[in-house]
Amino acid sequence: MTINTFVAGKGLLYRFDPRAKLLTVILLCIWFFLPVSLVGLYTVVGLLVLVGALNTGFSHIAKTFLSILPMLLFMVLFMPFNVRDGESLISIGSFTLITTEGLEQATRLAGRFIGITYACTLLFATTVMQEVMLALRSFHLPYKAGLVVTLAFTYIPFIAESFSQIAESHSLREAESDQGKRIVQRLKDLVPTLTSALVVALRSIPNLAMSLELRGFGSEQKRSSFKDLSSYRHPFTHTLLSCIMLVVFWVLFRVQ
Amino acid sequence: MGPSQSDSTSSLAKSRVPMPNALSIEHLSFTYHSYVQKQCESLFENLSLQIEEGSKTLLLAPFDKGKTTLAKIMCGVCPKYFPGTLEGTIRVFGTDLATLEPWQLLSVCSYVSQNPQEQFIANSVEEELAFPLESLGLGREEMRSRIDAALQHWGLDRLRTSSEQELSGGERKRVLLAATEAIDARFWILDEAFDDLDQRWRDQLKEMIGKGNKTVLVLASRYLAEFDGLFDRMLLLDDKKVVSPPQQQLLSRFSQLCQDDLANPLASQVCTPPDVRQLVCTDLVAERRRMSTLEEASFKVHVPHFSLQSGELVTLVGPNGSGKSSFSRILCGLDGYLSGFIKFDGTSLSGKELSKKVGYLFQNPDLQIFLPTVNDELSWSLRRRRDLKQEEIRRRVAACADLFGLSLSDTPATMSYPLRKALQAAVYYLLDRPFYILDELDSALTYHTALSIIRDLRQNGAGILLITHDRQFAKRVQQRTYSIEKGRLCEL
Amino acid sequence: MQQNRNALKVAMVAVLTAVVVVFTLVVRIPTAKGYLNLCDVAICFIAFTFGPWSAFIAAGLGTALADLISGYAQWAPISFVVHGVEGLLIALIVRQKGNEAVSFVRKLLAGLVCIATVSLGYFALSALFISTVSVAAAEIPGNIAQSGVGFVLGLGVASAVKKAYPPVRSLSW
Repeated sequence: MTINTFVAGKGLLYRFDPRAKLLTVILLCIWFFLPVSLVGLYTVVGLLVLVGALNTGFSHIAKTFLSILPMLLFMVLFMPFNVRDGESLISIGSFTLITTEGLEQATRLAGRFIGITYACTLLFATTVMQEVMLALRSFHLPYKAGLVVTLAFTYIPFIAESFSQIAESHSLREAESDQGKRIVQRLKDLVPTLTSALVVALRSIPNLAMSLELRGFGSEQKRSSFKDLSSYRHPFTHTLLSCIMLVVFWVLFRVQ
Repeated sequence: MGPSQSDSTSSLAKSRVPMPNALSIEHLSFTYHSYVQKQCESLFENLSLQIEEGSKTLLLAPFDKGKTTLAKIMCGVCPKYFPGTLEGTIRVFGTDLATLEPWQLLSVCSYVSQNPQEQFIANSVEEELAFPLESLGLGREEMRSRIDAALQHWGLDRLRTSSEQELSGGERKRVLLAATEAIDARFWILDEAFDDLDQRWRDQLKEMIGKGNKTVLVLASRYLAEFDGLFDRMLLLDDKKVVSPPQQQLLSRFSQLCQDDLANPLASQVCTPPDVRQLVCTDLVAERRRMSTLEEASFKVHVPHFSLQSGELVTLVGPNGSGKSSFSRILCGLDGYLSGFIKFDGTSLSGKELSKKVGYLFQNPDLQIFLPTVNDELSWSLRRRRDLKQEEIRRRVAACADLFGLSLSDTPATMSYPLRKALQAAVYYLLDRPFYILDELDSALTYHTALSIIRDLRQNGAGILLITHDRQFAKRVQQRTYSIEKGRLCEL
Repeated sequence: MQQNRNALKVAMVAVLTAVVVVFTLVVRIPTAKGYLNLCDVAICFIAFTFGPWSAFIAAGLGTALADLISGYAQWAPISFVVHGVEGLLIALIVRQKGNEAVSFVRKLLAGLVCIATVSLGYFALSALFISTVSVAAAEIPGNIAQSGVGFVLGLGVASAVKKAYPPVRSLSW
């Protein structure tokens, strides 16, 4: 199971300061909710996709699109349920299927959805998780919270690996195969695997706490930090750049 | 930090005249907390131990007699994280451990655990080394130089940014040793540190222990050749106390405690299986399961010929990473293969059908244990078969528990490791498979216990494939041996 | 010596968060929202076995991280709120001192609260921030099924784990 969201590459986005990127993504998400024209919305979305393709590659962009496709299809499917009263666009007989307003709402929602998804995906694809955490720490995220997230990421592969081994070893113990079992039976059969997996995970809690303390966690002495974001030289410039860009987009595309 | 605590730390940092012992244990008694009705047996009774500063000491203890518990008590994490009743005084460099928190011992006392997975707290090797240095408040330049030096010394430079889950057992041990070197504490407690290492690193560890004025305590359950001439003092954990007889006497008493002097359980076993089954592999070629994203090229597993008969005991030896686990997973049906045949009594099998004929005992026994008592665990598989009556199930379970030396009302979660291994074997014994694959059975067990388990499994005439990287153990078993290297299997 | 439990709390929450992430990503049945999964099993287990805070943080953070990892970033804040509240409420309802079994009425109430929180929470927040009322409504049946099944399985797993690994009783926050 891969938990790595980072896609290696060499574009501009990779050299952008992580703190600026984080702020940009948050502001972008807010921007998408502002009253802007549909054309403006899709222009920004298009720009996002373009920048993304230039940085992380076309296949990554395509993969992201495929993962949100089901939701988009759902939105299209449910278009008839949108704004029922309004100018009728497509109708069968006297039954209004889709109204103009309904189409507009669906298009807007779809655009917003695509935009926010790509913005967040690009953030995590061009920034190593460690640097995201460092950026959050510079926004005053408490040390313990950052530590919890880092430790969780450390333990996810371990627990996933134990889980698959446990599933295998339980299947070796089974006499019958999985075919032809009713779903209730299948769920009941899952309980042993889940129990063993949880016991293995729970056993590691005291060990982890022990190791944290043995490695110095808990002392009141101030911790220094090995890595920092000093390799990014222009945090303020980058932040300013994004803010200006977003303000420009707002001014250009807002609906009067 | 209150005034008394800061005094303790500063006294730890610069205790000079008079020189207290690095470690002083007096009248230690410890019993684990029991979560079931039955009380746990005490681990130590009135144990006393003195270790001088700058000395190199070896403490031998048979498996499962409290060696790791003693190490954890010395670091102050037991009974804090492993509940139990503790009596007695422990002083580290003159300061009573009861007045200290574990993090205050960071620059004083380093513990290297037997199981690296227990001690990992970071995402990558580099961060693992950086974390304790950050706790010490070191400057970035200092940290960088210490980390670079330690990684270089232990050959981990190219693994700097890799995730710890992707490393092999030996590499993980080296990460812990590198971290210990970077922290550079005064007192090192190494629990079975030589175990997973290849010869080259064992020599390096031996050299590192020997030089310098660090106080080193090595805990071991097997006397290795590397120990000769390395230590000032040898101690033995015997009957809940620590004793220090002269070396010859100590070693012979130690082998007595490990039951090495008992007859080989297999020697007297005559195995006549009711039917003779044959498991044959011919011209098997399989893609080796990728262990990590670090590998340059994945190689293929080639098996020109392999055969196993009922009642036979065959060993498979090979270095770490040679493909032993990959081959065994294919043999028991967990993984598929590209070409060739695996034939059971002449019929070609694969997948689930192969699993029903070949049982695979994972190295970690806890992967399968999930029920509250031994009785439940053993009867679970039998109850799921529809053709057995309650009486019959009860009879079989009782006989099996008898054979493996298990008590039916015990709780697996709190049983000792050798008993859990025996339970795992007992579960498989009841499944009555014609063939068993035992993965590294001898790790963390005395030879005697491991051999007893093998003897019990063979009771019904099963054929056994034993995987090990310990050639000494393979010699005791002494039947046909296969060796595997870089994926190629051949008979020795 | 003062018993400082910080390291234990951090360790507990971190491992439980990882457990929730693994349970969420391990079994997936694709639907419009994303996927039906076992996250509610993990959340209910944690709520029954540990305390309200652990349940809140592990459930919220775990599902949010899982959403981020699998590319459904927009649901991350919604999952954090919905599942976090789910874990918190269930833990508060079944919390009690001592080792007696929780009464059936409390379990039923906890189950209903679980199902209501998940389905209504996702419905309300999705309708507000992601899509329309109708699309959000379409996901309600799936969410009810998932959380209901998850709750029942979580109950079973919680009692099994308590019996198989007694030391877990001393871990709670």
